[in-house]
Amino acid sequence: MAKKIGFLVNSDRCIGCHACELACKNEYQQEPEIRWRKVYPLKEDSFGGFAREFASLACNHCEDPACLKACPVIAYTKREDGIVMHSKERCIGCKNCMLACPYKVPEFNQKTKKVEKCHMCAARQDRGEKPACVVGCPMEAITIINVNDTIAGAERSLPGFPNAAITNPTTRFIKPVVGRQVRRDA
Amino acid sequence: MAYNEDGYQITRHICPRNCYDTCGMLAYVRKGRLEKITGDPAHGYTKGKLCSKGQNYIQRVYSSDRIRFPLRQMGRGSGRWERITWEQAMEIICERILNLKDRYHSTLPFCLNKYSGNFGVLHSAVEGMFNSLGPTTQARGSPCWSAGLDAQLYDMGYNRNSDPGEMEKADIIILWGVNPAWTAIHSLPYIYRAQEKGATVIVIDPVYTQTARKADYFVQTKPGEDGALALALAKIIYESGNGDQNFIDHHTLGWPLFKDYLANLNLDYLAAQCGQELGRIQELAAIIGSTRAVFIWAGFGLQRHIHGGQTLRAIDALGAITGCIGMPGGGVHYAHQLTWGFNYNFLKDPGNRYLNINTFAHELNHLQEQSVKMLWVSCRNLLAQDTAGKMLRKELDKLELIVTVEQFLTETACYSDIVLPATTQFEEMDVVPSYWHHWIGLNEQAILPYFEAKSDLEIGQLLAKTLNTYRPGSSSFPIEKSPGSFLDEEFNEKLYALLGISHWSELAAGPRQAAVSTTAWSSKTFATPSGKFEFFSAKAQRENIPPLAQYHKGMSPQGKYPYWLITSHAQQGLNSQFQNITKLAKNKKPVVFIHPQTAAVKGVKTGQMVRVYNKLGVITLQAHVSPDTPSDILVCHQGWLPGSETRLNDLNDGLPTDMGRVSTGSQGVAFYDVFVDFDPV
Ligand code: SF4
Ligand code: SF4
Ligand code: SF4
Ligand code: SF4
Repeated sequence: MAKKIGFLVNSDRCIGCHACELACKNEYQQEPEIRWRKVYPLKEDSFGGFAREFASLACNHCEDPACLKACPVIAYTKREDGIVMHSKERCIGCKNCMLACPYKVPEFNQKTKKVEKCHMCAARQDRGEKPACVVGCPMEAITIINVNDTIAGAERSLPGFPNAAITNPTTRFIKPVVGRQVRRDA
Repeated sequence: MAYNEDGYQITRHICPRNCYDTCGMLAYVRKGRLEKITGDPAHGYTKGKLCSKGQNYIQRVYSSDRIRFPLRQMGRGSGRWERITWEQAMEIICERILNLKDRYHSTLPFCLNKYSGNFGVLHSAVEGMFNSLGPTTQARGSPCWSAGLDAQLYDMGYNRNSDPGEMEKADIIILWGVNPAWTAIHSLPYIYRAQEKGATVIVIDPVYTQTARKADYFVQTKPGEDGALALALAKIIYESGNGDQNFIDHHTLGWPLFKDYLANLNLDYLAAQCGQELGRIQELAAIIGSTRAVFIWAGFGLQRHIHGGQTLRAIDALGAITGCIGMPGGGVHYAHQLTWGFNYNFLKDPGNRYLNINTFAHELNHLQEQSVKMLWVSCRNLLAQDTAGKMLRKELDKLELIVTVEQFLTETACYSDIVLPATTQFEEMDVVPSYWHHWIGLNEQAILPYFEAKSDLEIGQLLAKTLNTYRPGSSSFPIEKSPGSFLDEEFNEKLYALLGISHWSELAAGPRQAAVSTTAWSSKTFATPSGKFEFFSAKAQRENIPPLAQYHKGMSPQGKYPYWLITSHAQQGLNSQFQNITKLAKNKKPVVFIHPQTAAVKGVKTGQMVRVYNKLGVITLQAHVSPDTPSDILVCHQGWLPGSETRLNDLNDGLPTDMGRVSTGSQGVAFYDVFVDFDPV
């Protein structure tokens, strides 16, 4: 089978530090409001610092990308290796893709009046470099995998992640494991 | 020096803001503007990674809130700011200095309060400038780590730790009162790799932290009672025959006395004190006692109690009994001073009068002779961070001039007469060591200073120059010397040999790791007077501290104030720094975390405002109900939120810790021995 790349997000290693988000912002100098990668707490709300489990998500470079299907001007293309590319030149800013994507990935840039999203650092990967978020994660919690390989412990979903049947995302997850707790008030 | 890639000028930097990790960074500059920041892959500990605060430096450097010009405030705290020139600022300051000198025939009315906002070596220029004036009044000590430093000094004679990479060799890692997932993230990958190799990670903490979440085993203790747990473990391990008799016999001093002391301890009592069942402690002792390399990382949190030093001595003693000290992958690690051997020319003491930084307001108030008339603040936000805030304001009101060097209008800046804009580490040159890893790196200048900002060094030189024009001979501070020549004089052969370089400029090729033993105390020769690990320290005795590591009952909540208030470090902040960088701030309002049962008793729900109070005052916080804090502890994260009136330390008595004088000149602060009650607003 041909190589299909995707993100492996290891929530067992992730500490919710947000460095990946900011590494991406640093690399592409995004507008302050825009984040191509976002760290979501898995439990509780993002209100305070006490959410203890996280998933770092960017575009899922889906096998059946809803964005691509929804776009009237064919701004989206899926590369041979699976990366879903978005063309700023073609984009007319109609926001159809934003509505179609179950993961709310494409974001609207108020300055350019177009959408933008993670391109899996396609240019860096073509140069043989790892994506900026992968390099930037201090916990080595994000990796690029060939989704056709069997990866021990990798799962297709996490609690709160939209139904994978819709777009067949290529992101895989390692679930967090909780250690033993000896509390005072147990 | 700087090199080019893709049209970018790339320079090396070290984040200097008092953090375990003290990361290596690369700045990418195009057309004179800092465009992106990444980690420096040449840094062997931070390995090209940064935390989110580091990743976000561009926001800090170009923040619209940064101070651009020297400012004068017409009425302290009035907010009526007026832009002035550097010449005007220097004129005002120099006139006041000379006027005070004439009136008091002394330089003691000038007072300096500086701490850890920038740990760069050249930032000591502030002290240097002060010391060039004659004997002045200076705040001394550390709010942070003093008790623990002294404890290890008594036990082992020096502050030494293993390379953090040694954790990978450990069979057990005990993270004791430390939350590296928030405060030293680059250490976690080592811990993960150790786990992958089969090590057990145990977190001991009063609160279920992010690090606890990653551990195999979380043991909850009562705040300030870690010493009880350590001694209970030590007693069980030794008495069950799991101690390392060989280590004890050959490498320790005072064992017979300590053995007797252990024999007389009551395990049920100790268990009750630390809030754990004895059975659990025995289980833990069995795990620790049956393994070889036990790596204990003792954090700063556990020594922020009145008996904090004794707590660390008890943990050290546990380490000694297991025989792990000096073993690869073992030992008790707190912080080190191995790479701090600079010449510190700036610190040559002309006979200064020192005030305890932790009781600064009180000391100002109780000066016997020559009161202070003028205060200079740099690298500090004392109004946000000090205890006894009300008293501090009163004392500040008595001063004739307050000058603050800052990047932002912090609470302290807002209570100053003159505010001078400071550069960031991208706008100045410096060298920065760490107190956790063993790397040292260079800060090159990447960009021109933001508007009219100047470094502490330049400001010192400008002040000295102006003073000497007014009145020759007022200051001996070298005014023409470049930052590079200052660095020339700060380095010495010993430091160069440690770093394997012949000149500091070679650090431009990448940070260097000091050639110190990767395993602390591997020779098992200690730096104590006896050369042994001292269960019994005559040095402690001379300081009027019990010579033997001992259990002392800590403080606990009672009566009107039934809850502990623990004010630990925030994830996205460093003491009072970074919280004003809005993209990082998670909480727009200061939050207090409350256990569900406790919240239910008071009828409080998440999002509701609560008044937290004790006899010292009241603060208003937003409640967040969370099972991560136990029912008798309220948790807040320290920091400074601009515009917020909430000062956590308004509720803090600022009790001294038992130790700290030897290392830092003053005792530390028992920041976590604070007791409160709360009500919904
Ligand atoms: S950088 Fe890594 S550890 Fe931090 S939030 Fe992102 S994925 Fe998690
Ligand atoms: S995650 Fe959304 S934007 Fe990305 S490929 Fe899938 S549908 Fe498209
Ligand atoms: S916003 Fe752009 S990419 Fe999205 S559907 Fe419209 S044209 Fe396509
Ligand atoms: S792969 Fe590249 S574009 Fe996508 S989130 Fe990571 S850094 Fe950003």
